[in-house]
Amino acid sequence: MPNFPSPTLVWVHGDSLSPTNPALLTYPDAPAVWDEELLNQWQISRKRIVFIYECLLELPVEIRRGNVMEKLTQLMQEYGAQKLVTTQSPSPRFQHICQELSRQFTLEILAIPPLIPPQKYLDLKRFSRYWKVAEKHIYPH
Amino acid sequence: MQREFASREDLIAYVTQVFPGAKGAVSETVGGRRAALHKLAQLQPHAYGDTRNYLDGAVTHLSPYLRHGVLTLAEVRDYLQSQGYPWSVVEPFLRQLAWRDYWQKLYEQWGEGIWQDREPYKTGFTAADYGEELPADITNGTTGLLCMDSFSQELQTTGYLHNHVRLWLAAYIIHWRRVKWQTGAAWFLMHLLDGDPASNNLSWQWVASTFSVKPYYFNQENLARYTQQKWCMSCPHLAKTCPFLGSYEQLHKRLFPHAEFPQSHSRLGTRR
Repeated sequence: MPNFPSPTLVWVHGDSLSPTNPALLTYPDAPAVWDEELLNQWQISRKRIVFIYECLLELPVEIRRGNVMEKLTQLMQEYGAQKLVTTQSPSPRFQHICQELSRQFTLEILAIPPLIPPQKYLDLKRFSRYWKVAEKHIYPH
Repeated sequence: MQREFASREDLIAYVTQVFPGAKGAVSETVGGRRAALHKLAQLQPHAYGDTRNYLDGAVTHLSPYLRHGVLTLAEVRDYLQSQGYPWSVVEPFLRQLAWRDYWQKLYEQWGEGIWQDREPYKTGFTAADYGEELPADITNGTTGLLCMDSFSQELQTTGYLHNHVRLWLAAYIIHWRRVKWQTGAAWFLMHLLDGDPASNNLSWQWVASTFSVKPYYFNQENLARYTQQKWCMSCPHLAKTCPFLGSYEQLHKRLFPHAEFPQSHSRLGTRR
């Protein structure tokens, strides 16, 4: 742990375990913490934990475990951080945690580069309808 | 938590100690960006398109890395482009990347709703007709059906199943054993290294028919073909007592006697 206060803390969660994750790219010197909840949520087996751990070991992060809200709040105080940065995830649990966190801190959620550009309207009723639009944008042809 | 380990064995011992609740085998699949990029460099889009439905086909094994964002979908697409592959070659693979994007978009909209039946079953049964418990012979791999027992073992030891195997095993659990898809989906999430709630649950719903116009099912001919008869040849059930024996019409009558949905002969292997 560095002995100087860092103004920004990066939170790395299980949907974005890449060293090129935009939060780590934007704030390369910030300490980071990992969301352990995804391990506990569905009785995740040992092989999944080992795989995720191996992903983490290639990231410049400090690994913490426990209740995500509590740990993040504690870390923000420890580091004297004013701002928390993370990357987007569709997980409802993630959304909930972000809502709570944004009451206490400045929270920045960075986007992951999308597979297809954002559309004004996208019909998701069945894959075939989505694909009709997606195939036009997904690859040059 | 600890960051320095002398070996993979050391890491495994540490994980075992600090996560005592996590049980079972450890996969040979190694996590991390380096492993992911190595797998990406081995991608053969020509062969993928031709053979992906076969168990020994040129599938990519990228899914655990995509699931945890070690690689993004856009990165994989950009890599294909940088290699100069034309659309006709990469289209089958891109379609699979698009499936993941599609499931994630639905997850954004539905949240925990991905655990609920999106539509009624089209099997002629209601949700109440399906059991809550996963039969022990399935998790123990003692059904006596060589294919299903082997799939169950593989899931629990390697954390990986070929996509076609996922469909067969899910169809067996839902339609032959009449178990709720949610039960099977939760079991998969425990074990699959690529276990993603959206891709996993919505694919189970697709097999169940709660997110499609008809149930997915298969017959022995289909399984034998795409497995090169790996299990059928030595299975004692092959000729007479195999529950998958028969034409699609016969299986329809046996599995879904009260259901009406169009027969499809184009489902031999090609998913959706």
